[in-house]
Amino acid sequence: MADPKMAEAKKTLVEEGTEFRGSLVSKCPVVVSGKIDGEVHAPSLTVSTTGGVYGKVRVGEILSEGEIAGEFDAETVKLSGRVNNNTVIRTKSLEVNLSSDKGKLQVSFGDCVLEVGDEPNKAMGGGAKPPEAPKPQPPKV
Amino acid sequence: MADFTREEILERITKGESLERADLRGVDLSNAALEGANLRRTDLEGANLEGAKLKGANLANSSLREAYLVAADLQDANLDKADLEGANLDKANMSGAGLSRANLEGASLEGASLVRARLPYAQLDSANLGGADLTTAVISNADLVECYLGGAKIVKADLTGSNFSKANIEEADMSGALLADASLAGIYGAGAKLAGADLSKADLTGADLTKADLTGADLRRATLGNAKLKGAKLTGARVFGIVPGDTPLDGIVADWVDASAEGDGSARTTGDQIIAVMSGKAAAAAAASAAPDGAIKRYFGKGDVLRNANLEFGASAYVEIESRFEQCTIALGEGAELVVGQDGVLVDCQVTGGGNITIHGKFFEGASPGISGPKQLIVSRHGSVVGVVQQPANATHFSFEPGCKLRMRILHANNHR
Repeated sequence: MADPKMAEAKKTLVEEGTEFRGSLVSKCPVVVSGKIDGEVHAPSLTVSTTGGVYGKVRVGEILSEGEIAGEFDAETVKLSGRVNNNTVIRTKSLEVNLSSDKGKLQVSFGDCVLEVGDEPNKAMGGGAKPPEAPKPQPPKV
Repeated sequence: MADFTREEILERITKGESLERADLRGVDLSNAALEGANLRRTDLEGANLEGAKLKGANLANSSLREAYLVAADLQDANLDKADLEGANLDKANMSGAGLSRANLEGASLEGASLVRARLPYAQLDSANLGGADLTTAVISNADLVECYLGGAKIVKADLTGSNFSKANIEEADMSGALLADASLAGIYGAGAKLAGADLSKADLTGADLTKADLTGADLRRATLGNAKLKGAKLTGARVFGIVPGDTPLDGIVADWVDASAEGDGSARTTGDQIIAVMSGKAAAAAAASAAPDGAIKRYFGKGDVLRNANLEFGASAYVEIESRFEQCTIALGEGAELVVGQDGVLVDCQVTGGGNITIHGKFFEGASPGISGPKQLIVSRHGSVVGVVQQPANATHFSFEPGCKLRMRILHANNHR
């Protein structure tokens, strides 16, 4: 687990015009305005509007406004921008907002798979309460 | 005259000795290494601490009035109840610092970093926080009267119950901020980003929010008395119980707003009904129950079960399902609204056509793709979707709220069959 104070102070920055190929492991948040093609392991990944990440990513948090493709595993994901074909996103929490500009797409999705939260079950609606478990009774003497 | 010289102070700190309650007024400690120093209750009025390294230092109850702290490193420092009135903290790093009940009246914090800082009950009236970064900071019940926050980053900060009267937040990013019960009376917030912010029960009387982004904001029971909202974006805003006063609402930009009391998106209101609801001319519940543009609402109530049915709805239909549907197909006309309520469950079903679909309940596909050609698909925080979504040629507008559950495959618009 990365030291949050250290993570706050330092960032690994892939600037616009820079292309990185290979495996990137960082204890600092990774901010990508250029391109990464490969693997990323970090506390968080931010992809700016000019950025692109293609490959295998395992991070705590993803905030993407750019282009992503590949396999993405994270605790939380917030998306805008573009999700390319052949992409899998696995996360506990996904946030995608509608665009405030009418007619404009906030996120453009290619062929992709989203695995978000626990596996849903068909038993009941979100508002219905599960049947109560029987309450434990005091032992009979 | 200070009790100690710079050299004496540094020597004491090197030895780990406390300077608690020392008189250090006017002392020059610029760029000094003071990490973790105990400066509790010291008098540093007018001191020069430019670029000083005070990371983790204890400055609780100290006096730093008119002190010069430009670019000082105050990360994780304890400044609880410190007096920083008129201090210059421009570009200081105060991330994670504690400033509970601190006095920052008239202080300058331009470009300072206050990420994760804790400032409950702090005095910030007339302070300059232009361009400062207050992301996830806690500034609840603070006094920010006439404070300048132009261009500041205040994303997901907790500002509950704070007083922003006549403050300036123009172009500030307050996305996802908690402003419930806050006073924003007379605030100047043209172009401010308040998307997803919680402004419930906030006082916005006389606020200027021209062209502000209030997309998805929670404005339930907020008071708008004579606020300026021309060009403000309110799509998806929660507006139940809003008190409009004399606020002109004709200039707002919104595809829909949520008129439900719970703010769960279950009462989407569109078209002319938006202004009717927000101006109080139509009861929220009545407007919500009326289908958009006068179309008749089709409602499938809780407890009902529908099996093997083929249903077709026209372009102006508004369909709400709180029932259980099994092996049904639903064809939606272009622009029709389908809302699966929190108790609605669609099992082995298929939905086709260019409608707007909102899912608060559950959807499980039968034949694949389970959802084909939707113009818009919203899955709320209570919603679940298992299945394939085939986008239409001009792509689907998606919205997923944190908390939703998905096992979803999205097919590219160009693969439209």
